[in-house]
Amino acid sequence: MNQPAALPGAPGAPTSPAARRRARAVLGLTLAVGVGLPGLLFGLIVALTPLRTVVPAGWSEGQVFLLHAVGLAVLAVVLVTFGAVVSGITVWWEMRVFARMSSRVGYNRVGAGGFLQWVADAVKLLLKEDLVPADADAVLFRAAPYFVIVGFALTFVVLPFGESLVAADLNVGVLYVLSVTALVVVGILIAGWSSNSKWSLFGGMRSAAQVISYEIPAGLAAMVPVLMAGTLSMQDMIRAQGAWPWEWNVFTNPFALVAFVVFFIAQLAEGNRTPFDLPEAESELVAGYLSEYSSFRFAIYFLVEFGNLWVMSAIAVTLFLGGWQVPFVGPEVYAAARGAPGSIPGAGWWGLQVLSMVVFVVKTLAVLNLIVWIRWTLPRIRVDQMMSLCWKYLVPFAFACFVGTLFWQLLVTAAPWAARATGYALTAGFLVTAFFFLRLTLRNVSAAGDRVDLTNW
Amino acid sequence: MAQNVRAYAAAVGTTVRSIWHGMSVTLSHLLRRPVTVQYPDRTPLPVRDTLPARYRGILEVDPAICTGCQACERACPINCIAITLEKDPANPKQRLVTQFDIDEAKCMYCGLCVEPCPTGSIQHTREFEASSADLRTLTFRWAEKPFPVYKVAKDATYYPRAPLGSILRPMLEARRWDARGPEFLPPEPPKVTPDAPPRAPGAAGAAAPSRAAAGKEHKP
Amino acid sequence: MERLILRKLQADGEEMILNFGPQHPSTHGVINFMVETDGEVIRKAIPDVGYLHRSLEKIGEQVGYPGYMPFTDRIDYVAAMFPNEGYAIAVERLLKLEVPPRAQWLRAISCELCRIASHLISVGTMAMDIGAFTPMLHGVRERETVNDLMEALCGSRLTYNYHRIGGVAFDLPEGWRDRTLRFLDHFDRFLVEFDRLISFNEVFVKRLAGVAIIPAPLAVDYGLSGPNLRGSGVDFDLRRDMPYAAYPHFRFQIPVGKGFVGTVGDAFDRFYVRCLEMAESSKIVRQALESLPDGEYMAKVPRRIKPEPGEAMSRVESARGEMAYYVVSDGTEKAARVRVRTGSFTAMGIVDAISPGLMVADLVALIASLDVVAPEIDR
Repeated sequence: MNQPAALPGAPGAPTSPAARRRARAVLGLTLAVGVGLPGLLFGLIVALTPLRTVVPAGWSEGQVFLLHAVGLAVLAVVLVTFGAVVSGITVWWEMRVFARMSSRVGYNRVGAGGFLQWVADAVKLLLKEDLVPADADAVLFRAAPYFVIVGFALTFVVLPFGESLVAADLNVGVLYVLSVTALVVVGILIAGWSSNSKWSLFGGMRSAAQVISYEIPAGLAAMVPVLMAGTLSMQDMIRAQGAWPWEWNVFTNPFALVAFVVFFIAQLAEGNRTPFDLPEAESELVAGYLSEYSSFRFAIYFLVEFGNLWVMSAIAVTLFLGGWQVPFVGPEVYAAARGAPGSIPGAGWWGLQVLSMVVFVVKTLAVLNLIVWIRWTLPRIRVDQMMSLCWKYLVPFAFACFVGTLFWQLLVTAAPWAARATGYALTAGFLVTAFFFLRLTLRNVSAAGDRVDLTNW
Repeated sequence: MAQNVRAYAAAVGTTVRSIWHGMSVTLSHLLRRPVTVQYPDRTPLPVRDTLPARYRGILEVDPAICTGCQACERACPINCIAITLEKDPANPKQRLVTQFDIDEAKCMYCGLCVEPCPTGSIQHTREFEASSADLRTLTFRWAEKPFPVYKVAKDATYYPRAPLGSILRPMLEARRWDARGPEFLPPEPPKVTPDAPPRAPGAAGAAAPSRAAAGKEHKP
Repeated sequence: MERLILRKLQADGEEMILNFGPQHPSTHGVINFMVETDGEVIRKAIPDVGYLHRSLEKIGEQVGYPGYMPFTDRIDYVAAMFPNEGYAIAVERLLKLEVPPRAQWLRAISCELCRIASHLISVGTMAMDIGAFTPMLHGVRERETVNDLMEALCGSRLTYNYHRIGGVAFDLPEGWRDRTLRFLDHFDRFLVEFDRLISFNEVFVKRLAGVAIIPAPLAVDYGLSGPNLRGSGVDFDLRRDMPYAAYPHFRFQIPVGKGFVGTVGDAFDRFYVRCLEMAESSKIVRQALESLPDGEYMAKVPRRIKPEPGEAMSRVESARGEMAYYVVSDGTEKAARVRVRTGSFTAMGIVDAISPGLMVADLVALIASLDVVAPEIDR
């Protein structure tokens, strides 16, 4: 075969002027995509979100705009850093849980309980050589991780953390989330195509098929709480729910319960988590679309994969599990603590914010643990089964829930007690199920001739 | 139609039930103690001391009761044992073992050499921590100082063997993992000179190399 | 071979050639499969073996009869007792040696424990290849206990070199019997838990049931043996049908594939036959420990093993199917020829016939269900 004289990125390729020009073009495009794309989106968000709650007196319109731009830039750094740190800590926690599930100890050398292992891993990855395979499409190969991380980071814009702790409470919140998470698949598809490896290609194709199919049940199931709240804004959807379990969307409406399960499964599939980790199925595709990546680009994929756990859990908590609602603290309490609009709120209000954030984080971590737990229990399904699960089971169920909720809302409007009664009944049912499950779990321990022993965690 | 619906419901039901059981099993493991042995530093005892008596670790030869019969050399399927016997110039009736090298890098720890040994001089110890940066340091030279062969008394039922591992362990402790090995292998057997000063039995690699190598080794 | 496939590809250009291996997480060693795929569907998968060839048969002609024993460990290092036993029996037949009963019993005990250890790896890696990591580590955890027992018995965890021509190397150590019985009690409970964790997990079942079906006639035609053959519903086990060593004295069932969740001979049957065999092995070890006769554990063997010119053949039921040794003596201290027939090698032959129409993920399940060990294929 007639090989081109200089392969971009190939080690030891002769540095002809053409190769150097190409290398410069690759670098320029990388920078353009890596800086330009987030920059563009950032500018759009700044321009579109009217963050006009705090306006210092006597400032001109331009100054206020600048102030908000700086404020949002700081917020963006905070949120992306939060995403990275959460993803790292999730790795650590997941490995600890998995180790325990398989009778091992897990990370225990770097830091207390191995806590700093993720930092060590990230530093190690940073020090690795950034390889681009010969014959790979270098520009796309380098650009793909940016799509992935942008799609990941953008979801944080509307993810709520507390009563007022949200970067931007867009009035199209749910649609926004569904659309920006789809950006990740673009990156994965590009990665699979540009790697010039058959395994990567398989991974990319599987991912595309999977994520796009599961958008449908996810979208349909997400419409159930939208119908119940009558809004697309994430914050308003939480405000429409109560603090107690029997006031959550998931328990006040039997269709929402099913929709929650459908949504959860679809989110697992969109996040490429077991049992839907087909795009990177280790035992089949080596590492799928990740096969050819190394160094920091690999780290980015890894960060997104684990950071996505938080995103998935937070969205599920927002839509179905009552978000940051704190018991006994209604909107009037927040309003009373807030004081006059335009001023800096007092300590009581901040305390409430922190409290609501704690509630939200606890719920999110609970769902996150569920995802981790499922991952280390279930095997992986096959491509055709993935498709049939989506189209034969999830989509009909999601659609039935959607239609059912339409009628349910009619019922609830006519008889509001129905929602409350369902809430109590389903909460009780959940507690009974949990009791039997825990009893079974304890019996497992004794059935294996073992005993409960929490040492060496 | 009804059958299809039943099959559909059954598929959902069995899936939920099996996942229910599987997840309760994995959850129950969160409550049990891990089985990991946290080698090397977080074990109640050194791992060496927890190994069973028959453990086939690094070979040890007790020169005091070696009869020089070379049965182990013959039994070794991969020839990792090299033994040379010479007559003692001072006492022509006495034979000396001037070379008894075991290449532990080559050894496959099969235990076939231990079985034919008439006195139990060659034995597997429970030592296994001898990792080294240089393969050549793994040649253990048990006849560093030539030793006379052991004469087995008639009707002997007991051989005064040094406690297992008591010869090997000081050798292992004396060596550094990054010590350099001898330049050439197999090394020439030392010349038998009765008046030569006895060298302390040290690790083969640390004591045996040529002067140049030894000089380099002591550089910080 | 590759060139042949590639030439055909250039003609129509619809398919893709996938080099599945030699470095691939689920080829269980270094095996290469030339996979011709149409999208995810396999047109043909051709196994390309030989990456782990170590001339073990030739070595058998170079070292003496007793000296070959540790090399047999390396033929199948996942279940090293069986090559040991097969070779020992073959040379004993050459020497016309009678092995004392205690040695026969100890061989049965060690081999059945080894079968448990090997099948644990097999079913564990099968679950891992399907994507569930935890069952594999649970299997390895139990295997560790078997390894501990083996270490106490013969001093090594992997390459046992326990059997000798004319018997075994060691008698049972003190307290070993109780330890083993304790382990077996635990192990029987573990099997129940394992079934609940993975065997009947619906996702797992759906991945294996009806996949890579090997009908019984095809299995016989391709010379499959051991659990792979029994998974296809053929009731044949050397331990019962051509008894050797102490096996006639034990009562045990031979599990065969019945189409537990799908069709007879599918990947799940091969998987589950191994699970059932572990329970049977546990029974055999219990019986053997109960009825262990007293006496010597080693026959009187001449110092220099120098068999009469002739030939001998032994067949043992290894964890991976029939393991046969054919040893030819020319009257010297070294064998004139040692030939080893292994179950993994014959199992590789059927991949070619079964693979068309499978998906890439099913090929992984097929390889895992055949339980091949690369060094045993190549020797």
